[in-house]
Amino acid sequence: MDERFVLVGPRTPLPPPAKKRAWYEGKPLLSMAVLVMIILGCSGCELFIPRDPAYMDLFHASEAPGAAFWFGTDTMGRDIFSMIWYGGRVSLLIGFLATAISTVLAVLFGAVSGLAPRWLDDLLMRLTEIFLSIPSLLLVVLLQAILGKASVVSLSVVIGVTSWTSVAKVVRSEVRRLRGSEYVLAARCMGAGFFHILRRHLAPNFFPSIMFMVVMNIRSAIAAESTLSFMGLGLPLEVISWGSMLSLAENALLSGSWWIILIPGTFLVVTLLCVTGVGNWLRGEGDRRESNL
Amino acid sequence: MSRKNPFFYYGGKVLSFVLSVFLLSLAAFYVARLAPGDPLVSYYGERAEKMTVQEREQAEARLGLDQPIYVQYIRWLENALQGDFGISYKYKMDVLKVIASRLPNTLILGGTGLTLIFLGALALGAVCAWNEGNWLDRSICKAGTVVSCIPEFWLSLVLILVFAVSLRWLPSSGAYAIGGGGFADRAVHLVLPLVVTTAGHLWYYAYMIRNKLLEEIRADYVLLAKSKGLSRRAVLFRHCLRGVLPTYLSLMAISVPHILGGTYIVEAVFSYPGIGTLSYESARYQDYNLLMLLCVLSGGLVILCNILAQIVSERIDPRMRGGEPPEVTDHG
Repeated sequence: MDERFVLVGPRTPLPPPAKKRAWYEGKPLLSMAVLVMIILGCSGCELFIPRDPAYMDLFHASEAPGAAFWFGTDTMGRDIFSMIWYGGRVSLLIGFLATAISTVLAVLFGAVSGLAPRWLDDLLMRLTEIFLSIPSLLLVVLLQAILGKASVVSLSVVIGVTSWTSVAKVVRSEVRRLRGSEYVLAARCMGAGFFHILRRHLAPNFFPSIMFMVVMNIRSAIAAESTLSFMGLGLPLEVISWGSMLSLAENALLSGSWWIILIPGTFLVVTLLCVTGVGNWLRGEGDRRESNL
Repeated sequence: MSRKNPFFYYGGKVLSFVLSVFLLSLAAFYVARLAPGDPLVSYYGERAEKMTVQEREQAEARLGLDQPIYVQYIRWLENALQGDFGISYKYKMDVLKVIASRLPNTLILGGTGLTLIFLGALALGAVCAWNEGNWLDRSICKAGTVVSCIPEFWLSLVLILVFAVSLRWLPSSGAYAIGGGGFADRAVHLVLPLVVTTAGHLWYYAYMIRNKLLEEIRADYVLLAKSKGLSRRAVLFRHCLRGVLPTYLSLMAISVPHILGGTYIVEAVFSYPGIGTLSYESARYQDYNLLMLLCVLSGGLVILCNILAQIVSERIDPRMRGGEPPEVTDHG
């Protein structure tokens, strides 16, 4: 110690240095790893899938899993192992695309509603409520009819357009909270436009609070794709996705071919679980105080 | 001022309900009419495609389809106000009768499901909060997350595969056996759809109860209650649970339509003859009159539940006035 300075007073021991958390602690490593594996496997599936996923080998229809067909074949004789990786690409793509669409809609709508005067805000929120109360099944059928034969893009649009409201509500209330703050006022005084304020001042503030919902929307969109395709409202049979694979389930139930239902479904559920794991981590529930109970 | 006078207060609520339903019916009407598709096909079936141009025109004129949309809407509204919602093109019956024949099935499924979810979520949430952080809480949370990730239709398929196809314990579809219809028969048919409906929603609410309770047991009044000698159980059930209940009730009111709507997919997979399968059919086959009434009914229910939730939470907690009711999202 430098002799020019002398410490006086009672010696308080320095608090022990806080134990540094290892980089992996508190992160959903397993979910992330599995998710990355699924995404990589689906996007690079040409490298390793043994058969053409669309080829219908009618001599080997509904064959149980075995050495020749690892996951068996479906009722139309297509190799399920190849289809899963190939179809996962479509399912994931729809998940991301639909979420992108719904997020953009939600942010725009929420920001407009949050910045608008009271009466316009009330009106917009009431319209959202009415929009929400139209059965989504009807909306889906209608949108599909307008957009023509279902394709990956049209289905993403349908799912995106029907799933933006909950994020929009959060954006709106956050924007309402932020709009009175001085920096927004300052930016306005300097003549900043709507999009500038949204991008530079509002979005960085509300983004963390919608991040979790956005990730969960990916999950809902993937689930919605599979549900719609399964019900015959989504992708047709020849566009391979996890949902359209499961739309053969009824025939499979009759013949008791469990692998047609269980294997694609397991992949679907595992993916959804991993996305949820990542989402829950983003929600980041802070440490709670000691319980009083 | 209007807050003071109950007449204005409830009058305003009724007015906003009527206005919302009116807007909803207008939107649904336009949306349904603009959708491409041929309502004549659902009325005449295959024959519609072989009609000559003149026959088509006559048929359209008879069903009123040749008028501009707003004229059709006004006509529909006039009739609807007199209780006449038209006939279903597909079933050739008064739409009210068609819906009335299916409604009990959905109410049984949705109502039982709702009760199970309501009570189950309370119980599960309380158990988790009671055991906060230990193995039971953690394993329930893990299991709940997994179950809430499974899409309803796939869960239905797996259950059918296990219990109907392999084990042959339970029927796989319908609401009753042909010729049957006794209580036991119906109950047996309800088991699988009910399990799926409940499993799909239960964890969302249970988790919410758990987190609200965890917040509640950190409040200062819990310390007071404990220091005056109340047991853990008394504090949790008599005080904390009561504090959570109002939010939970108004949330449940909003989610009634969610849960009823959630039965659509379940109904479709189990071919359960309810409102869900009916809406699906009517939307696919352009059965306008039926579709309209279904839309207005289910939409009206949503709006009604929202307003009720608002009234309930305003009565319980006057601070809520002018605010919004708690929000429901689909996230588990």
